[in-house]
Amino acid sequence: MTVFQYVAMLLQTGLGSLAAYLAAHVLLCLLPAFFIAGALAALMPKEAITKYLGRNTPKWISYPASALGGFVLAVCSCTIMPLFASIYKKGAGLGPAITFLFVGPAVNILAISLTGVAIGMDIALARIILSIIFGIGIGLLMAWIFRKDDAAHDTETNNNAFGAEATVPARVWLFFALLLGTLIAGTLQVGLLTNSYATFTLGEAWAPGFQSWLDSVVPPNPSLGIEGVSVHGVLLIGLLILIGVTAWKGLNTVDEGYNRWTFVALGLVTLTIIVASFKVTAVASGLTIGITGKLIAEILLLAAVWWMAARKFEAYEIQEWLWEMWRFVKQIIPLLLVGVFIAGMARALIPAAWITTLAGRNTVWANLAGVLFGVFMYFPTLVEVPIAQTFLSLGMQRGPLLAYLLADPELSLQSILITNSIIGKKKTAVYVTLVAIFSTLAGLIFGMVVK
Amino acid sequence: MEIKILGKGCPKCKRLEELAREAAAEAGVEATFTKVKEMDEIMAYDVAVTPALVIDEDLKCSGRIPQKSEIVIWIQEAVSE
Repeated sequence: MTVFQYVAMLLQTGLGSLAAYLAAHVLLCLLPAFFIAGALAALMPKEAITKYLGRNTPKWISYPASALGGFVLAVCSCTIMPLFASIYKKGAGLGPAITFLFVGPAVNILAISLTGVAIGMDIALARIILSIIFGIGIGLLMAWIFRKDDAAHDTETNNNAFGAEATVPARVWLFFALLLGTLIAGTLQVGLLTNSYATFTLGEAWAPGFQSWLDSVVPPNPSLGIEGVSVHGVLLIGLLILIGVTAWKGLNTVDEGYNRWTFVALGLVTLTIIVASFKVTAVASGLTIGITGKLIAEILLLAAVWWMAARKFEAYEIQEWLWEMWRFVKQIIPLLLVGVFIAGMARALIPAAWITTLAGRNTVWANLAGVLFGVFMYFPTLVEVPIAQTFLSLGMQRGPLLAYLLADPELSLQSILITNSIIGKKKTAVYVTLVAIFSTLAGLIFGMVVK
Repeated sequence: MEIKILGKGCPKCKRLEELAREAAAEAGVEATFTKVKEMDEIMAYDVAVTPALVIDEDLKCSGRIPQKSEIVIWIQEAVSE
């Protein structure tokens, strides 16, 4: 193999991952997930949670509330650190603050839905359940270890920062439920949703030839977990690019009002989710189109979402929602795409033997290796998922994989430094050690269960 | 008038500052704008969730981006006091 061929092969692998991501995973999972994240940021009254994080809240409420706060309030690190500092200094204290810090990055809606679709529901569920249990566990341990400091702290804080009260209005609950419905309907792999209830064939004579051309440009490689791209996928990628362009014009300043492009972009988003829900296969005679349960569910849910948005909310609320959603997209998607591309190339670069030797079996050392990799490598939000996928395809056992996925968002050198500046060296050192031990244990236990 | 934007410098804080500047211009009020990024200073205002807006040392809102019309009213109130 010449150098040129080698580079071409690397680029092809990277491109293959990228295309598979855009055409398969991103769509039906990340598109709704970003809308949910935006809704959490814009429509959820923060006081509905923060009122439980104050100094005078009993422990059995403040710890679970901190964990829930991690899920609801912490889609990006710019909310996590200030709120962490406030809970620690002005609110419920060190324990709940630690719980919040731990749970936030691991179980936000984007990370969980992407993990579920890209790696597997078992890992996504383990990520949620173990993060919450360990978050509360580590919080309680930290509070117990440093109980003297906390008592001193109690006497010098007022409760003003957490005094405000709010409840979540019924229409907001319903709206969240509908948005969550679009995510679940699009991603859940059950027969009711994935079966086709009617099929018809389009006599597109170009389709089989186009498909075989696609297979030669982006060859599917099951041994490396590379799926290849379908004709359907190309259409979806095209739609995504159109969404990107129109959203840039329509959503950048949507909080000041709608313009023509806003509606074009939202129409395209709706269309894309609907197109993605069809089952399309290239056959010799053209394209077979299947009307799936998913398609029917998505159409009903999307209609309900837009009806509520138009009728049940004030215009500024919906504008805030769209603005927050678009902010998350701008912040996360470019880095994610680069990450997917590089993680895809890494599949072809890293010899599988390295990974299988290091973490191919579920041992303490393998899990610790997963954790240490997570600590020393810093990846932007969500990029841990394609990286984990690469490891998985190279033969990493699911236990160490979970250990890595738990440790990576929790402990990067950067977040350790910021934590250090808020709670000091000693507490940070204890926290980091506890997280490393717990993540290793989590991986070990999970690895034994799934085997 | 002194308007402070509390937050670590994420897109929300930048957006809040833009809106506050436009609101001040709309109200026709001369104001100095200060960005408060230090965690301890932010917390001195009893703020739990950023971004937050402080007008003449008075906390007006936190944890959300207010509408421009709201900020205009706060500025006018602060002037008439």
